[in-house]
Amino acid sequence: MDPNQIQAPIENYANPKTCLFHVLFKGAALAFYILSALFFNSFVIIFVVTVLLAALDFWVVKNVSGRILVGLRWWNEINDLGESVWKFESLDQESLSRMNKKDSWLFWWTLYLAAAAWFILGVFSLIRFQADYLLVVGVCLSLNVANIIGFTKCKKDAKKQFQQFASQTIASRFQSTVQSAFTLV
Amino acid sequence: MSQGDTVPLHPSSQSDIDEIENLINESIQSGPGTVLAARPPSPTRPSIPVSSSPFMQSNLPPLPPSSSAQKVTPVPVPPPLPVVSNSSNSQGGSQGIGASGFGSPPNTLTEPVWDTVKRDLSRIVSNLKLVVFPNPYREDPGKALRDWDLWGPFFFIVFLGLTLSWSASVKKSEVFAVAFALLAAGAVILTLNVLLLGGHIIFFQSLSLLGYCLFPLDVGAVVCMLKDNVILKMVVVSVTLAWSSWAAYPFMSSAVNPRRKALALYPVFLMYVSVGFLIIAIN
Repeated sequence: MDPNQIQAPIENYANPKTCLFHVLFKGAALAFYILSALFFNSFVIIFVVTVLLAALDFWVVKNVSGRILVGLRWWNEINDLGESVWKFESLDQESLSRMNKKDSWLFWWTLYLAAAAWFILGVFSLIRFQADYLLVVGVCLSLNVANIIGFTKCKKDAKKQFQQFASQTIASRFQSTVQSAFTLV
Repeated sequence: MSQGDTVPLHPSSQSDIDEIENLINESIQSGPGTVLAARPPSPTRPSIPVSSSPFMQSNLPPLPPSSSAQKVTPVPVPPPLPVVSNSSNSQGGSQGIGASGFGSPPNTLTEPVWDTVKRDLSRIVSNLKLVVFPNPYREDPGKALRDWDLWGPFFFIVFLGLTLSWSASVKKSEVFAVAFALLAAGAVILTLNVLLLGGHIIFFQSLSLLGYCLFPLDVGAVVCMLKDNVILKMVVVSVTLAWSSWAAYPFMSSAVNPRRKALALYPVFLMYVSVGFLIIAIN
């Protein structure tokens, strides 16, 4: 037998297409912003294309890759009382633990790296006193940060829910055991 | 998971809580008639921020424990159908994920991507119709923009900036940047104005509203771009300006104290007037 076959297979990306899209728009926005100065003179084109790519990335991360890669989703609703409520949705604990580790690693790290990259670019444009480029960076940074905050909150909420559920199940099982113990006596 | 290792799982795969409840009920029926001990109350829904809508169960308001004789409060429970979520995870790519619908509240975690796109697009269209065109829901502004979204405003602002920039013969970049910054910062400041006046409006809802009310000015800008006659421009701009203000009026005025209505509405009008001037002045 080939010794390689006996080893456990190295986990691969479970959703390569989604991972690709997740990274694609972020990378495209950053690349376009950085390289565009070489090709385009017009600020308008740079602004519109970069912000468009960043908005597309926001949508893809929020609605597609968040769901598929880490099983989380967040949104905001206004309830009947007119208050704003943040809603979080997550898969159950079983599916969450079965999520591909590589996928979720990629998801979180590219999120953080992209935000850090935009922040650095923002510092550059601040140093150069380019207010209009600062505008672009500001918009892209805020979109990225919104996603980071939303998903972090969602993850914490999912953990909290699971802990609550676990403690409740333990409590109720304990009750049922105690009850059945009493009835047997 | 070892939840059901002492009890054989029924083929109908009841939820774990239901199984436990059945155990309790059986033990109650076979033993002395003791009242069901109070279960740990479900997490009450906080009045502000975090509320969760779990995968399967909807967030029904929790019943008080004392009233639950047989039927127990639905505690947030992971779905009893690991099969479905399994298949939704293992399918690669962004397409072809099976739709959900086991008769439970809309489960948006496993819907196909195309559904999400369609949902967002239809929300933009419906928000636009609610805000800008006459409809019966304008009587109750709070309800009308319940489903706010920022994509519509984003497109309208960018479109307006592009149109103005296209019409400008010189300094196109500055025109675009100024238009975008003016509209974005203006929306934020106007919202803050309403909040500081003691009005009851939600930040993003107001941003969304002010963005959607730009639609008439967008139309006006396109018309002005196509025809360069000054008189025509003035007429078109005044008409669309009036339309924008009419659209924004009920939402803004209902949010504040009636004595302060003018204070809230005047800056909105001012902003739209300045955009109107920008449209007329560009040639």
